[in-house]
Amino acid sequence: MAGALTLATALLASACSGTGGGGGGESNQADANTITFMTKLFGTAPNPQGELHQAIEKFLGKKIKVTWVPNADYQEKVNVTLASDNIPDVMVVNPKSPAFGKAAAAGAFWDLTDKIKKYPNLVGDEKVLLNSSINGKIYGPYRTRPLLRSAVMIRADWLKKVGLEAPKTTDDLYKIAEAFTKKDPDGNGKDDTYGLIIPKWPGVEFAASNPFNVIDVWFGAPNNWGERDGKLVPEFDTPEFFEANRFMKKMIQEGLVNPDWNTLDTAKWNDPFVQNKGGIIIDVDVRATQLLDLFKEQDPQTYGDKVLTVGNLSRPDGKKFSLPFSGYNDILAVSKQRVKTEAQLDELLKTLDKLASKEGQVLLSNGIEGRNFKVENGEAVLINQDDPKVKQVQDDVDKAFIQLGTQASTGTTGIAYPRVPPEAPYRKDLAERKERVAEDLKTAVFDPSLPVVPPTLVAKGATLNPIVTDARVKYLAGQLTEEQLKAEIKRWYDGGGTQIAQEINDLVSKLGQ
Amino acid sequence: MATDLAPPPVKAAKVAGHKPNRAQTLWRYRWLYLLLIPGLAYFFVFKYVPMRGLQIAFQDFVPFLGYNGSEWVGFKHFVDLFTGPDFNRLMYNTLFLAFLNIIFVFPAPIIVALMLNELRINVLKRSVQSLIYIPHFLSWTIVASLTYILFSVDYGVLAGWIHEFLGGQKIDYVAQPDWFRSIIILQTLWKTTGWTTIIYLAALAGVSPELYEAARMDGAGRWRQLWHVTLPAIRPTIVVMAILMSGNLLDMSFEQIWLMTNNLNRGTADVFDTFVYYVGINQGAYSYATAVGLFKGVAGVLLIFGSNWLAKRLGQRGLF
Repeated sequence: MAGALTLATALLASACSGTGGGGGGESNQADANTITFMTKLFGTAPNPQGELHQAIEKFLGKKIKVTWVPNADYQEKVNVTLASDNIPDVMVVNPKSPAFGKAAAAGAFWDLTDKIKKYPNLVGDEKVLLNSSINGKIYGPYRTRPLLRSAVMIRADWLKKVGLEAPKTTDDLYKIAEAFTKKDPDGNGKDDTYGLIIPKWPGVEFAASNPFNVIDVWFGAPNNWGERDGKLVPEFDTPEFFEANRFMKKMIQEGLVNPDWNTLDTAKWNDPFVQNKGGIIIDVDVRATQLLDLFKEQDPQTYGDKVLTVGNLSRPDGKKFSLPFSGYNDILAVSKQRVKTEAQLDELLKTLDKLASKEGQVLLSNGIEGRNFKVENGEAVLINQDDPKVKQVQDDVDKAFIQLGTQASTGTTGIAYPRVPPEAPYRKDLAERKERVAEDLKTAVFDPSLPVVPPTLVAKGATLNPIVTDARVKYLAGQLTEEQLKAEIKRWYDGGGTQIAQEINDLVSKLGQ
Repeated sequence: MATDLAPPPVKAAKVAGHKPNRAQTLWRYRWLYLLLIPGLAYFFVFKYVPMRGLQIAFQDFVPFLGYNGSEWVGFKHFVDLFTGPDFNRLMYNTLFLAFLNIIFVFPAPIIVALMLNELRINVLKRSVQSLIYIPHFLSWTIVASLTYILFSVDYGVLAGWIHEFLGGQKIDYVAQPDWFRSIIILQTLWKTTGWTTIIYLAALAGVSPELYEAARMDGAGRWRQLWHVTLPAIRPTIVVMAILMSGNLLDMSFEQIWLMTNNLNRGTADVFDTFVYYVGINQGAYSYATAVGLFKGVAGVLLIFGSNWLAKRLGQRGLF
């Protein structure tokens, strides 16, 4: 029976240990003057007695208690927490996850659709706010992210060596990948390089903004869902999708892609790039900063000549389609477990509104002014970083508290101070990024299905999601023919996809009215 | 552990014979019963109390609504499971791996123990024994990382050697579904064989040397001794190990398989345990996952009763 009980035990254990798992965790019944949070963590959990934590409490005039959860386990911890009786007041969640959707539908979280407008700092961009909703129902302020982040990063020094220009079309990309593979761009006399670097993508959702989806959109396929003949169809049921996948399959079969593209960990994505193995990465544009950091460690003199970033590419006939992002990453949902009355809710939202003000967001995503940073020309410049106490503040900002920010500065958005290293290559990268984003937004293919969550997907997603995701990968690996890939897509439709398509069409048209 | 303490007092009571009533027996062996309590408490708290949660397999469970508020849907999730696209694949994968486990993993420690038993140099015997059970102390995470390091198509050391030796196309052992089961069985052999060998060695140590002497007197060679003395002597141990294993046949090592799964081999890799985790914890479909787990649990119980019955039919002592 052990297996049957695994899940039940896990849920029960979480219910019991909810308090202990928390950050401060003295008692389950935090008093009325305390707000409990749960959010992601990228390092070690900040000390509640720490300088930054105290500064935030002082600013809010309230105590806060945060359950910090390592990013890698976040969704699992959310699902387990939702099943416990210790849901924090404010929870950073992906509003589209089935577990949250069900909990929200059952009334575990406050529906803020009619209320959020009263708190000006929480609204943000109305379109993005709608995107973060469940079928138009808004459950909390979203955490802002740049609307367009997709880019291509190329080894600039290799490009020079093989004598090619920056790519404009997918054909150019193919040529560069071919030259990087065959022309020994690192000049070590060995045939040990490849062009494109693709990692094993975590999760099984189809439209995950991974390199494959980016290339689908470049070839003109919908971004997740798109209109064809007056109806919304999924990305993979269009001729452009097959066009794009033929292109990718060719690259993979000809060895222009890293051979371990099915097992390379995303955390090691940069390694082949900086270790002279591969020369192209298709990902979010902020990765360029990481790459610059890594090259700077190798050689502080020449790192500026190593990375070339370009925006979305046109397809062979010159038409350009760019992949935008949803503009947000998770929302701050308010649970009803402790916040029971409208008055309590109003009190809490006022506090969140205060936290979402410029002063609050600066605390969360810059730190304490005059202590770990100063403002110069509207930018944050780090100071006193040699002092371990100040370094602690800086770490608490970067690894933890920025994850509570709704308008924190990330890349090109947010209301806090942008933070740019003073060195020229970084400044050049950011300046170019802003231009690129503005340019690519003109050709952005938006996903009309973002605000809707079809009920069949919630019910059957667990079985349906992997079907096409896995089939595409198998097709690219040469294990399935195009006919077999089409058969898998049909299997998706037959298993419930037909209903999902119907519901998406209905829900989106209802939303438009 | 504590359940092992339970039988002696009961037996002792029977031997004692002069019709003691229950209260007297209880009082007489009170200290033994007291020793039993922590064990019973463990099973009650961690194995029986959570069973209350099994009811969510028959509900459309939403945590916020709780056990009482969630809608009762009866066998809907089981119908979904048996008619859905996953069941055949999960059943096939699980049974196939179980079959490979019986064929390769189960006999391996017996063979190793017999071989070690034949070694006459004690130092060598001891050191080999110690060396092969070290992997038992490594976690699956480490075993999986080692596998990736050795077999990855890009930088795998062993994969590189095999490629140099055999030539031809480079094979992506860790991503190809065809290689998945071989890798899993190899990992299991490497990690578990040494440890289980200890149990058989202990059984072998208990075989009376007089039996061997008698066999030698009758002119039995090494193989004859093995066949007619050694194996019959450890047969009860083998049977008990077999019955215990049959109960766990459907419990594939979750961590091991989860760590070795990727998009390409998922079709081959998914077994009931990984599926329950993925659907329940990752996707938040609590009820469906519990239904799958419950089915697996029931099947496991049937298997252990079945093999126990079979063992008795074949004239062996069963477990119960």
